[in-house]
Amino acid sequence: MKKVLGNKGAISLFVVPALILYSIIVVLPVLWSFYYSFFSGSPGLKWEFSGVKNYIQLLSDKNFRNSLIVNLKYIGIVMIGQVGGGLLMALMFRFWLKRFKNVVRTIVFFPVVLPTVAVGQLFAKIYEIQPNYGLLNSILSAVGLNALVQPWIGQASTALGSLEVMDIWTGIGFHSIILYGALLDIPDDVIEAGRIDGCNGFNLFRHILAPLLRPMIITCMVFSFSGTVKLFESALALTNGGPGNATRSLSMYMYSVAFTYNKVGYGSVIAIFIFLLCITGSRIINLFDKKESYY
Amino acid sequence: MKKKVLSVLLSTTMVLGVLSGCGGTSTESNNDTASEAPAEKSEEATAESTEAASEEKTEEAKEETTEATETTAATGDFSGEDPQLEKDFHILSIWAEDNDNGVLINNICKAYQEVNPNFTYEYELVSSDDLRQKVATLVASNDLPDMFVYESGKPIVDLIEADQIVDIGAMLNEIGSTDFVTPSATSLLETLSGTDTIYDLPLGLNVEGFWYNKALFEQAGITSAPVTWDEFEEDLAKLHDAGIQPLACGAADKWGATRLINAYTVRTLGADALKNAADGNASYTDEGYVAAAAKVQEWADKGYFGEGVNTVDMNTAGSMLMTGKAAIFYNGSWFASNLNDTSANAAGEDGIGFFNIPTVDESVSAIDSYSMNCGNILCLSKAKEDEATKWFIKYFVEHIGDEAMTTQGSIKGYTYSAQASEMSAYTKLVLDEIGKAQSAFTWYEATMNSEVSDAAQSNVQMLLSGEMTPENYMQSIQDAADMSALN
Repeated sequence: MKKVLGNKGAISLFVVPALILYSIIVVLPVLWSFYYSFFSGSPGLKWEFSGVKNYIQLLSDKNFRNSLIVNLKYIGIVMIGQVGGGLLMALMFRFWLKRFKNVVRTIVFFPVVLPTVAVGQLFAKIYEIQPNYGLLNSILSAVGLNALVQPWIGQASTALGSLEVMDIWTGIGFHSIILYGALLDIPDDVIEAGRIDGCNGFNLFRHILAPLLRPMIITCMVFSFSGTVKLFESALALTNGGPGNATRSLSMYMYSVAFTYNKVGYGSVIAIFIFLLCITGSRIINLFDKKESYY
Repeated sequence: MKKKVLSVLLSTTMVLGVLSGCGGTSTESNNDTASEAPAEKSEEATAESTEAASEEKTEEAKEETTEATETTAATGDFSGEDPQLEKDFHILSIWAEDNDNGVLINNICKAYQEVNPNFTYEYELVSSDDLRQKVATLVASNDLPDMFVYESGKPIVDLIEADQIVDIGAMLNEIGSTDFVTPSATSLLETLSGTDTIYDLPLGLNVEGFWYNKALFEQAGITSAPVTWDEFEEDLAKLHDAGIQPLACGAADKWGATRLINAYTVRTLGADALKNAADGNASYTDEGYVAAAAKVQEWADKGYFGEGVNTVDMNTAGSMLMTGKAAIFYNGSWFASNLNDTSANAAGEDGIGFFNIPTVDESVSAIDSYSMNCGNILCLSKAKEDEATKWFIKYFVEHIGDEAMTTQGSIKGYTYSAQASEMSAYTKLVLDEIGKAQSAFTWYEATMNSEVSDAAQSNVQMLLSGEMTPENYMQSIQDAADMSALN
């Protein structure tokens, strides 16, 4: 075995096919996109070399800045909601709902398998105000909170929040199931020992459960980050980026620029920015992971 | 211990998997951009070959529905019998063969094959969302099909500037068929492309205006449809006071709202107001333009649109009109097909009326001036144009008017002599209105490129929700215009 793996020819035989495939489907398009970012217009129509003009434009583009802010707000809130909420639910399954855990798990996981467009339609109905009140507004009006009845996805101030609630609802089940699995892996005797030593609920979580769950929490955060950074289809299904640009994410803006405004070059610059954002985000989460290895 | 090792292993694979997934997502979008061209080409090649195969079969199998034996008299070299030139004609369309205009184009082609047996055609389909990108790719590879569906307004101007499409006005002149395209359609197409001649053939002729629920008007004590803007506003107030929602507007679809701004802009500033702004002769932030935006916001503030107008789409707004939940609804004449649907139209066969946009100042924009459009249009590739194409186009323009009237009861912008067998009251109403039109103006975004139009459309929701002032709204349009001028 050592002989085989020591042989450079053998190594390249194993590595090269995968490397070629990876290069063709990942590296090449990235480089191609990078090359495109120096052009203005769209291939076929007014396609001209424009140097770094696209990059300069990016710095002063209000729409880009707006989309970036929307995206970052969304990532922050939804990550906390999905992972934090998922953790709370997992704890609930583990300690309170032990007997019904199967039923509850199924119900909580259900939104994960629903198609995004269907969820978007569902929530559009929940937030509906005209011609009939949707679920949310009917409830508010029924309990006498008429002042709170409002077009939830029809005004910029509440649209992003409404979208975040929808995506937390969709994703929370997934994370709670992962974390619940991790909780089950923590031996009962550890918890019992903690209890005997006089831990209350909070201390039990703070000093015993949280450290043991750490790797899984980090995993969940990576999942959640990669899911939220590419915000596109759920916003498209619920609000179509509106009202105004209140829920337009970076990738939606990139799509508009490249394919609606026919500025493929400038779109490529935005795509590269998203690429860098992904790398940076993953790096930051990885830093937490490294700390873990000191334990 | 084993468990720990296993969990560490598992979590690492997950992290790795996710990270690669993360990388994959971002590059996927890049991939789209980069490989667009080659992918499209191969797709097209396969699509064409399969289409060609299936086409030949259906051609033989299907019976001809329309008889076409006579050739109308014409002038010049193109009078008399069709010389039956050999031609393989490629058509790129956004309608399936059994849908909408697809039916008409296919019927005409099949009928023409009776006249000219040497004529074969291939009908290729692309989704309307991909149309522009597809045409751009075809232009780049110098492979535009003989005839293709496209969008009027700004998109076609790019093709004219790139010298890619045929001057159809001149061609019609040469083949002596100019009279078969109605003058109103011709002038509209000329306005849209900003040229003295037409570079495209119409595939529709629509008027737009206000549809209103007659029962609700009566209920509010309004006897006749408004003609002037003051009357219109009075009626809105009356309706509102009577507890009826005066206006339904599909602002979720955005264009439903900008059309209202357009209505007031044109009636106060004239038909070329938006063209002036687009050409830089005026600024979108000028007083008159802002006033129109302010007018629509004022209505929203008064609650004329009801609650949450931004969440209502055009379909819902239409059914609100038909079910008596709102009194007035701005839409085009194509809305008649919804009204003809008795299961959806609770107002019945005579429950809904139509009035043109009320006038502010007769001398600026008169009541016989309508907001009109030609829907999607047909262009011809300059590189592929030859004698046979001209003969086909001659046949096409001379027969499509009748074909559309007999099979669909619709007007496409061509003269017709046939009568639809059964015409509903609403179809007649639309035909009457089209007949009244003496001049036409275009929709709000007609002169804007996609970037400016996007700004106008998405920000109109902020205008309606009161989160943007009229000044800022018009400024955002001007900003987008400045921004797109940079590139």
